[in-house]
Amino acid sequence: MSQGSGAREFLVETDFHKKARRAGGVTRNQAVGDAQAQLETLKEEFTDWTRDGLERLQSAIQLAETCPDNVLLIEDAFRNSCELRDIGTTVGYELVTFVANRLCEVLTAIRNGADYDKELIRCHLNALQLARQDTYKNVSPDQVPDLCDGLRRAAERSISLAGRIGK
Amino acid sequence: MKNATLNLRDLVILVADPSPYMCMLANSMLRGFGANKAMDARSSIDAIQILTEQKIDILLLDNLLPPHGGLKLTHAIRRNVNNPNRTVPILLMTSDTRESTIKYARDAGANMVVAKPMSPSSLYDRLSWIAFNPRNFVDAPTYFGPDRRFKIEGFPTGVGRRQGDKAIEVSEETGPTLAQDDIDSLFNSSRV
Repeated sequence: MSQGSGAREFLVETDFHKKARRAGGVTRNQAVGDAQAQLETLKEEFTDWTRDGLERLQSAIQLAETCPDNVLLIEDAFRNSCELRDIGTTVGYELVTFVANRLCEVLTAIRNGADYDKELIRCHLNALQLARQDTYKNVSPDQVPDLCDGLRRAAERSISLAGRIGK
Repeated sequence: MKNATLNLRDLVILVADPSPYMCMLANSMLRGFGANKAMDARSSIDAIQILTEQKIDILLLDNLLPPHGGLKLTHAIRRNVNNPNRTVPILLMTSDTRESTIKYARDAGANMVVAKPMSPSSLYDRLSWIAFNPRNFVDAPTYFGPDRRFKIEGFPTGVGRRQGDKAIEVSEETGPTLAQDDIDSLFNSSRV
C-alpha cells in the first residue's frame, strides 16, 4: 500500500463534501425511515420483477444447458442470479437472496470446472420460485432449515467436485 | 458525528448498475434521504459518457457493471487526467465481499464499499462516512485516489466498533467473505 516516492498529497473538498454537510439535512433516523417507506412502495412490484428475473434466469440456464462448456453462457446465468441475490433482502425477501447466492456458488463451481448438474440447477430454480412467494416474505433462512440445508449440501457437493478436479 | 445530518438536496448522484430494478431501489433510498437529482447508467460505457459530459457529485458504482466491471472503471476514472470527475467520491456496491476484492476496490481509488444487498441504513451510513471523513488525495506514479493511510476518527453514523479494534494489515485472502463492519475497517486502516 506504499504510495511510493514522488507522491503528491493534496486536499480535495468536492461539492459532495461541502453540500452534504450543509444545514437542513436529514437525520439518520428520519432518512432511514423515509427510505424504507419509499422501498415499501416498490415491494409491490417485486413479485412481477422476480417473475421476469426468474424467466431471464431460466432462459439463460436453458441456453447454458445446450453448451455447458460455454463460459459466456454460464456467465450470463451467473449475472441473472446475482441480480436476484443482490435485491432480495433489500425488499424483505431474504430467502431469495439466500437461494440465489447458493445458485451463484453452483455456477461459479461450474465455471471453475465442476460438471454441469442439471438437477442441481433445477432444484435451485424451484427453490427460487418458492422463495419469491408472499408466504416467504420476511422469512429468514434459519426459519426454513430443511430447505436451506438441502441446498447448502447440494451446492457444497458441486464446489467440492470442482476442487477435486483441481481447476 | 453521531448527530450529524446528511443533506443530499441538489447533489447530482449517478447510480451505475446493470439492473434497472436495483437502480430503482437505490434511487428510492436516495429520495428517502432527501436527494432530488439521481441519474442512472447501465454500463460502464454509459457511465463514462455521463462522467465526461457533466459534473457528478457522487458515484454509486456496481462492482459487476458490464462490460469492464466497477473496479476497472474506478481505476480508469482516477487515472484519466482529463476527466473533470477524477476526484468524484466513489461508493462501490458489491456482493463480492472477499477481502481481496475490498482491497482491490481501495487500491483502485474507491472511497468506500457497501455490501449488497443494501439496506437504507447501510447506504446512509456509508454516504455519511464519505461526507464527514474527507481525505486528502494522493497522486503517485502507481496510485491516484483518496489517501489510503489515515487514522480512525469514527465510523459511519450510528455504527459502533468493538473496543480494542486495531488497524488491519491486508493479507492474502484467507476467508470467504467479509461483513460490512470488516469492510469498513479496511478503509480505516493505518497511520494511527
